Amino acid sequence: MNLTPWRSKRSDGSGTGRAETGLARLRSEINTLFDRFFEEPWRGLAEWPFGGRFGPRVDLSESEDSFCVTAELPGVDPKDVDISVSGNILTLRGEKRQERQEKGRNYYRTERQYGSFQRSIPLPSSVDSDKVEASYKDGVLTITLAKRAEARPKRITVKEG
Amino acid sequence: MAETAIRKREGEVSRVEHTRDRWTYCPNVDILEKDDELLVLADVPGVKAEDLDVEYENGLLTIHGKVEPRQDEEKTRFLRCEYGVGDFYRTFRIGEGIDHSRIHAELKNGVMELHLPKTDQVKPRKITVKVQ
Repeated sequence: MNLTPWRSKRSDGSGTGRAETGLARLRSEINTLFDRFFEEPWRGLAEWPFGGRFGPRVDLSESEDSFCVTAELPGVDPKDVDISVSGNILTLRGEKRQERQEKGRNYYRTERQYGSFQRSIPLPSSVDSDKVEASYKDGVLTITLAKRAEARPKRITVKEG
Repeated sequence: MAETAIRKREGEVSRVEHTRDRWTYCPNVDILEKDDELLVLADVPGVKAEDLDVEYENGLLTIHGKVEPRQDEEKTRFLRCEYGVGDFYRTFRIGEGIDHSRIHAELKNGVMELHLPKTDQVKPRKITVKVQ
């Protein structure tokens, strides 16, 4: 079987119409490398355990009168979770404790994350900080935040003339 | 212990084909060995105890947690979707030396504790040396 050198779609001349010369191709490949370097490590920053801190992943959904934030926080004691709202920023803070100290035990795998976590989530509009409810069940934290009256959509009825 | 699935954090799915048209995720686990058992701690957020199946067959231990969608996906308007909701599935090959009749599991706050007791043959034994 013959091996043919790999060519990217862009440089084989069929895509953009012009085949790139060797130097131009090198430059575009270096650019791609830089782009990848600056995009990828920071994209995952939220969940990197830098200094033992990790940011839990969240889903944010909107209904007419409220926002709903859910986060997967398995093994976290609800007492160790601190939720605060300031303006339109929701901040989750807490700690996932290692249930027991197993010193001297042989760990075969440690994929789960422990330690303190923090996450600030900007909301699209301000919320009524008195009307925030949070519940924790089966490792999933659900926070419901009521929108302020002015942020709710208003129905305008059209009068017949 | 060998495994046959990929982790959830990497955004990938387990390689098992399912009949339901949903994503299946591989839970993150810690595995530690104690004197008398192997302990598996698995993150399975959103799984209720009655929806968690742990099966052992021919040396293969299967963990399957069913997760129902948390919101009505058609009606809900998502502004941010960072994690997927789906079943958890992972298999482990268990070597000799595990008393599979005594395997048991507990579920608390989305974490499963799976106890795999060792058979008596592989437990470390202390041999007392008699003084003559």
